[in-house]
Amino acid sequence: MIRRLNQRTVLCAVAFAAFAFLVDFEMAQAESSLESIKMLQSLTSGDEGSLAAARAIKQLGKANDVTLVQSLTAMKGATPIGRNWILGLANSLYRKTGKSKASELTHFLSDTNQDGEARYTVFQWLTANNDKLRKELLANMKQDASPELRYLAIDEAMKSKLEILQLSSLLEAARHPSQVVSIIEKLKVLGETIDQSKQFGFLPKWRLIGPFDNVGTVNFDKVFPIENDGVKGLFKAEYEGKTEAVIWREETSEAADGMVDLAKTFSNEKGCIIYALTEFESEKDQDAEVRLGCINGNKIWVNGQLAVSNEVYHTGSQIDQYVEPIRLKAGKNQILLKLCQNEQKESWAQKFEFQLRICDSTGKAILTKGR
Amino acid sequence: MTIIMHRYTNSTLSAIGLTVAILAQATSSHADWPMFRGPNAGSVAIDAKIPTKFGGEQKENVAWRTELPGRSVGGVIVVGDSAITTSSSGMDQRRLHLISVNSKDGSTRWQQEFVARGRPYCHPTSANAAPTPASDGKNIFAFFSSNDLACVDLDGNLVWYRSLSTDFPKAGNDVGMSSSPVVVDGVCVVQIECQGDSFAAGLNTEDGKILWKLDRPKQANWSSPTVVKLPNGEKVVVMQSSEDLLAVSPKTGKILWEMKVRCSTIPSCLAAEGRLFVPAGGLTAFDLSSAGASPSKLWDNNKLSANACSPLVVGKRVYTISRTVLASGDLFSGELKWQTRLADAKSIWSSPVVAGNILYIFGDDGKCFVVELGEDEGKVVATNELGEAVLGSPAISGNAMYVRGVSSLWKIAEK
Repeated sequence: MIRRLNQRTVLCAVAFAAFAFLVDFEMAQAESSLESIKMLQSLTSGDEGSLAAARAIKQLGKANDVTLVQSLTAMKGATPIGRNWILGLANSLYRKTGKSKASELTHFLSDTNQDGEARYTVFQWLTANNDKLRKELLANMKQDASPELRYLAIDEAMKSKLEILQLSSLLEAARHPSQVVSIIEKLKVLGETIDQSKQFGFLPKWRLIGPFDNVGTVNFDKVFPIENDGVKGLFKAEYEGKTEAVIWREETSEAADGMVDLAKTFSNEKGCIIYALTEFESEKDQDAEVRLGCINGNKIWVNGQLAVSNEVYHTGSQIDQYVEPIRLKAGKNQILLKLCQNEQKESWAQKFEFQLRICDSTGKAILTKGR
Repeated sequence: MTIIMHRYTNSTLSAIGLTVAILAQATSSHADWPMFRGPNAGSVAIDAKIPTKFGGEQKENVAWRTELPGRSVGGVIVVGDSAITTSSSGMDQRRLHLISVNSKDGSTRWQQEFVARGRPYCHPTSANAAPTPASDGKNIFAFFSSNDLACVDLDGNLVWYRSLSTDFPKAGNDVGMSSSPVVVDGVCVVQIECQGDSFAAGLNTEDGKILWKLDRPKQANWSSPTVVKLPNGEKVVVMQSSEDLLAVSPKTGKILWEMKVRCSTIPSCLAAEGRLFVPAGGLTAFDLSSAGASPSKLWDNNKLSANACSPLVVGKRVYTISRTVLASGDLFSGELKWQTRLADAKSIWSSPVVAGNILYIFGDDGKCFVVELGEDEGKVVATNELGEAVLGSPAISGNAMYVRGVSSLWKIAEK
């Protein structure tokens, strides 16, 4: 009898220990998965983070205790690199369980507080073979917080025949330059003329000075006196140029795309640098983005601080080619550009021009006061 | 006795298993087309039999066609019974897709997706999905113009990811990059040459660690690194640019030899018969027999120029394409043997492939010229219309050719 009791006691103890071990193990694993997700969320560049992320993604794959929606939710607040790692995990989870999660995913998509890239991914999954649902959802996404969903929604809306009022509403919502141009063209056909340059917020009025020397394409990083004066915000009327003294000249772009044609103004000068100066009057202190399109080497200083630098010549250009965050102060802000031309002789390497605008983080133009 | 039998059985099974594994590897190796231009970057499947007539309205000899998201100007690879390719879609082609398709029926096995963290911009005729992916048979390595590099396993699960434009912010080219990665000796080699952060790098295939990084000329370059097996058996990675030609050790990035040669910046080089054939204005042949030392020049011929497509070698002939002219040259002397103009051809960007002695070359309008490679002439035996632009190089596996159109994937094989 005692022997049987002992056996039972031992068995119970073993079972309890095993249960406790499993609970502990699962809790440890869950904690470990949570830590892995946190690590992925905070990833930045470099080897160290990547190696840790590779271990984390392996652990998450084995643990199998993170749900699809948990992974999608984790994309909010993650770094851009972190979001890609988590997106990779989410895609694998979707393949395993996604088909049965339509209701949860629909709810996730409708929550505009979630990460935009995650919601766009969910939208693709839900509408992959359902064009009717795709159109229904997009009909209400023209103002969506996700730039990708908004782009799709406007694209879809543009397929219909639209009247002026509808097009004007779309123009207000559109952010992608190709869509803005397309809507303005459609409005023009209907007799409604929009000032495209103003709609984009291109800065048309500039003071230009040059040419300065860039023979051999060697002076991109040379600090010319005008750059030091730019930091101080005090410019001289005259500087020593490439071959002679040069003075400021006024230039106003009339182009719809806001392009300032330096090749024309400076008689196709090659191996040279031109500086362009303007003032932007902000209604208030605010975060903004400077957005440049330029097929030549370029630098931008905003209020004396270097914001943009690209030593690249003749490899394509477009609106918003280079986008960088800046801080505007209330009142006048000084914007100085250094624009560098090389000496390539090919017909496709003759352009010397730029277009610049100031936007909020969604790509909506911020206009200088009074424009 | 039982134990002895058991041991005997085990060792026999092990031996059989090993033999099967080796055979399977040989078969797989024969069937796989693991990277841009296939095994050894040769672009040739000498035993394959591909129909010469296909496509058109009747979809003749089209085993299947699968529509894919977005667009691509890259190629396709074949690993086992999966055809794998990439796409880019959405706003500014920022969505990056890696897609595995069942080679038997064209059904999608899996998709993996990322968002471009580098510059996605490119010429309207190109795409962010321009490089061809690569595989070591265990994992897939997908690279994009935006310098996003992802490694997934054969089931599409993420193994590692690198945003090389985040690591090196000035890496990029707004015309679009297109250099395809190669995988060799446990290292994934990428060549990112541009006016900004210009470099080549070798990444550990297991975890994505950058094992080495080599500064490269600050000039735009779209050519791909090429794995070359030297006569002594050593594998090196050869890279070309408008300023140089060099070979590096894939594991260390150590430069084994380097020459000042003004190479072409779109087509890539090729090794065959102990020689290295380099598009450099015309075509230049180098002798690879002196391992470790710079290869000596054997010949060059500007009549064998290659403006976009990489050269290939079949038998004792080397073939190049300059715009719409196919040229055949003697492998050993460089002597031009014949030229054939591909009548009505549009722009040709897709590097051709060869099955048997039949060359298949696609124009960017989707027209495929089928050329029988003879001693004295290249005879166009058929032209086929896919009705879809093709800019990437096809893959051949078994008796099928896989063609990546800009928006879909095709399997060409006798039905």
